[in-house]
Order: sequence, then structure tokens, then C-alpha cells
Amino acid sequence: MNDQQILAYSKARDFRHNTVERWLGLNAPDRDALLNLAQGLDVGQNHLRDLLDWLEEIELRDGVSFAEILSREELSRIMSDPRLGRNDKLKRLKDELRRLRFPRMARIEKEIHQRVGEMKLKPQIQVSVPSGLESGTVTVQVKATDCDEMKRLIGDLVRLSEGEQMKQIFTLLRGEG
Amino acid sequence: MRNFTPSEVLVEAGSEQGPIYKNLKRAFPQVPFTFVEDAREAALALSVANDRFGAGKEKLFLARHRGEFLKKCPGSEGQVCCNYFVINFASNCPMDCSYCYLQEYLADNPALKVFSNVGDLLSEADDLLTRHRNCFFRIGTGEITDSLALDPYIGFCAEVVPFFADQPNVLLELKTKSDCVEGLLRLDPKERVVVSWSMNPQRVIDQDERYTASFEERLAAARRCQAAGYKLGFHFDPIVEYAGWEEDYRDMVERIFAAVDYRRIAWVSMGVLRNTPGLKRIMRTRFPSTRVLSGEQVLCPDGKMRYFQPLRVSMYRKMLSWIRSASPTVFVYLCMESKEVWEQVFGFAPSCEKELGNSLTAVRGEQKFGSGSGCASGARQA
Repeated sequence: MNDQQILAYSKARDFRHNTVERWLGLNAPDRDALLNLAQGLDVGQNHLRDLLDWLEEIELRDGVSFAEILSREELSRIMSDPRLGRNDKLKRLKDELRRLRFPRMARIEKEIHQRVGEMKLKPQIQVSVPSGLESGTVTVQVKATDCDEMKRLIGDLVRLSEGEQMKQIFTLLRGEG
Repeated sequence: MRNFTPSEVLVEAGSEQGPIYKNLKRAFPQVPFTFVEDAREAALALSVANDRFGAGKEKLFLARHRGEFLKKCPGSEGQVCCNYFVINFASNCPMDCSYCYLQEYLADNPALKVFSNVGDLLSEADDLLTRHRNCFFRIGTGEITDSLALDPYIGFCAEVVPFFADQPNVLLELKTKSDCVEGLLRLDPKERVVVSWSMNPQRVIDQDERYTASFEERLAAARRCQAAGYKLGFHFDPIVEYAGWEEDYRDMVERIFAAVDYRRIAWVSMGVLRNTPGLKRIMRTRFPSTRVLSGEQVLCPDGKMRYFQPLRVSMYRKMLSWIRSASPTVFVYLCMESKEVWEQVFGFAPSCEKELGNSLTAVRGEQKFGSGSGCASGARQA
């Protein structure tokens, strides 16, 4: 593969000059690995910039090249999964790269989701934390169709707030997990 | 620390009358001085450089400051603010830290400038302090430049410290990463001047604080200032997270508190590394091998990227515990953090910027100013 293919790909999608420059500034194996990925998933400019950012930062931190990161088994598996369409593949690939880029944050998010799952919430109650865990807050959403249901759900919420899982979520949000 | 020698000093017409010009002539006898009608036009020549910000540090402009010298520190939207005023006596800085926010803030105006009309600065400060004698002010000079890095050449401190030392209602903070304190040692601060250092372990200094004083040089300078009667401040900002950061920062805190008298420390602040996405792009270009960008930073509501909250809260708590072990009573505050983070670190948050500001001015040891005597407990007791 060569620079012409990258230029043609970028031109067809109207990429900005500095995005193309960053891409062309990579060494040949990394350039090609990214082109493979971009062509395979029809990656647009914003997604490509996210990928470039994360790959560069993982490379700096871990001393591994783009090509090595992109050839990791968990990423290859997503790319070759015949059950997934383009959008699902791109989403999962980005989720996986985000997990590699932010391993401790991803671990805390995963643990919080596990604790939420263990609560076995009724469908009318949702417990969530902000993306990136900023603010240290838990959002609880309750949907009720009448006052009796609301009372029952609030009773459930009180029990939830006294449960171990909710305490663990707050502990994780305080950085004590 | 690297000695600074500009390739040229460009002097705007009219600026050759003041003391700064005379000091520069004395400091740089080998450097060409060029007179220009308008420094702003001369500074435009920098716009052709590839690295405009870096190029801006090579020449020194001496020019009149045309706007107001004194400004309220802008803080950061939605964050607890410490009610601070800044004096911009210069713009840009001879040092070159990878994470410096001036790279973005001064991107369109990167020339290293020193303002010649110090008399106007003092008149403005005098007017503010006289009109509000019942208020106590904290004023710093280190917002868009280093307070002391240029002092051996321009002698700014000798011009302003005597004035502020005589004011009853102000603390002047000189914030630096240098060891340029010689000019301060012969002045009497009269308890009105805090000299503060931005501190990081030597590993961070080596990698990301180019041309600054070493940790030991900063600490030695702090000791000299303390001996000369100055109060001290330490800013652990930016705290950088990396493998082994705990050992380095703990060691740094212990060494600082072992070296200086904690009773002479006016305040200690903590703030983690933060940058906007725009600054991140600039850092990538100017410092492609810096590793500070590979931390787990997320975009916060104020538009700045910081380590994700549980991580940075945990970092602050560790830092606080090391500081508290060394000095249980020193005043500690967070820089540019939300009330939620304050709560998680200290167990409380200041109710308003005045509360934090009053807590910080409480170091003056007087109670007749402002309205904060009832809410001046602050982080000192946390």
C-alpha cells in the first residue's frame, strides 16, 4: 500500500489537511495497518481522529506500535466476526481500544456495571453513572404510572441504598476501589 | 536552571526611560538592542516561524502595557475559585514546560514581552488597594509569565516589592519554577510577600519542565527566601501520574517539609495535570515524546481534560496524607476543582469563592478585613 491510497481515501471523505498529515506521518507498517482498518470499516474523520489519538497515546505509554496494537487478538476477532455489521464492528473496536487506552477507568466502569447488574433492578428503575465517571454521582431514574407504584419503587430504592452493591459503587466513585 | 540570553532586545519607543530598560542594558551588554515604533508590529515577524510559541521566547520585547495591569483570575467555569487577582507585568516566559497552557493562550501573541510602564502598574494597584482598604487582596504575578525567571535581568521585584510590603491589605504572591531570588533577598517583605514554587519530582522536571530550576535548586531558593523573611507557598501543580509517581511525590513532599519551616508556609495547593483538547494538539506537535498525554484523562464539564475523577481523588488523598504527615496544620487547597472533588478529598467544600479566599488571606494573621472570619476554617483543618 502507499500514500496514494491514503490520499485517495482521505480525499473521498473530505478529511482535513492536518488529519491526513498525521496519518502520512506514521511509519509504513502503522500507516498501512490504519488504512486496512479504515477501509474495512469505512471510518470517517472523527472516528479516525479518535483512533489516531488513542493509538498514539497507547504507543507512547506502552512502547508498542499501531500495527502491533491493531493486530491484537481481541481486535482481530471483532474485525473478522461475520455476525457483526460495520456499525457494530466500529463501535466494539472503539470500545476495545478505549479499554486499552483507559484501563483503570474501564475496570471501574465494568465493576460498577456489575454491581448494578447484581442489584437485579426492576425495569422501572435505572441506576447509572456519568461517562468518564466525572462528578462522582449516581443517577437514579424511577418511572411510575401511579402513586402506589411510585411508593413501592421508592421503598425498593431505600433498600437499594442500604445494600452492599450501592455502597460499593460509591466507594469506587471515590477512588477507593 | 538555564541562563536566559535573548538573541535581541526590541525596545518600543518611550520604553527606554524606565528602570527595566536600564537593568536590561546592564544585564545584556552583548545583546543587540533595537528600537521600534510599535512592538506589536515588530512581534508580527514571529508569525512566520514554524514553532511560533518557541520562537517567541528567543527575543525579548520591552513595551508599554496598554490595558489594565490588574485582573481578577478567571479561574475555570464551575470550579471552586480562590478569589485571586493577577498582575501581568510580562507575557510568555523563558522556560518551556510541555504542559504550559500559555502555548494555547498566547498562540496568537507569543512574543516574550516585559512591560516598561511599572509606574502605571503601581498607580493602578495603589488605587485599588486604597479604594478598598477594608478588603484584603491576594495578588499574584505568575499567571501569564513566571514571576521570577526574568528578575535577574529586569529587576522587576525591586520596583514593586517595597510598594506591596507597605500596604496593609494585600499579600503579593510571586510564583515561580526558577531559583532567581537574589533580587528579593535584599528587600524587606514585611509579611506581605509570599514566594511560592511550583514543585514536581526531578523526574517530571527532567522530562517536562525544560529550562527550569531543578528540584534541589528550587528548594534551596525557598530556604533562602524563608531566611530573608518571606512567607513560602508550594504548588503541587500539575501533579503528573505515572508508574512510580507515589514514591516520587511522597519523597518530594517529605524533603520539602524537612527543609523549610512549615510555620512559614502560607499555603499549599494541589492540582492534577489539566489541558484543553486544543492544548493537547499543540503539545503533540511541540513535545511529541512527552508521556504526560498518555495518562487516563477525560474531558470535564469546564472543557479541560483531567485524570478521571476516582483516580485524581485518590491521588489528592494520597498527597494530602503525605502533606498532613509532614505538617498537620498547613493550609491546603485544590486548584480548579469542583465542589464534588473537594468533598471527596477534604470532606467539605467551600461554600463560595469568598470563603476560600478568606481562608487563604487568613495567613496574614489579622482579623479586621473582609467578611470571612466566620468561614475561614478552610482546608487547614481537614
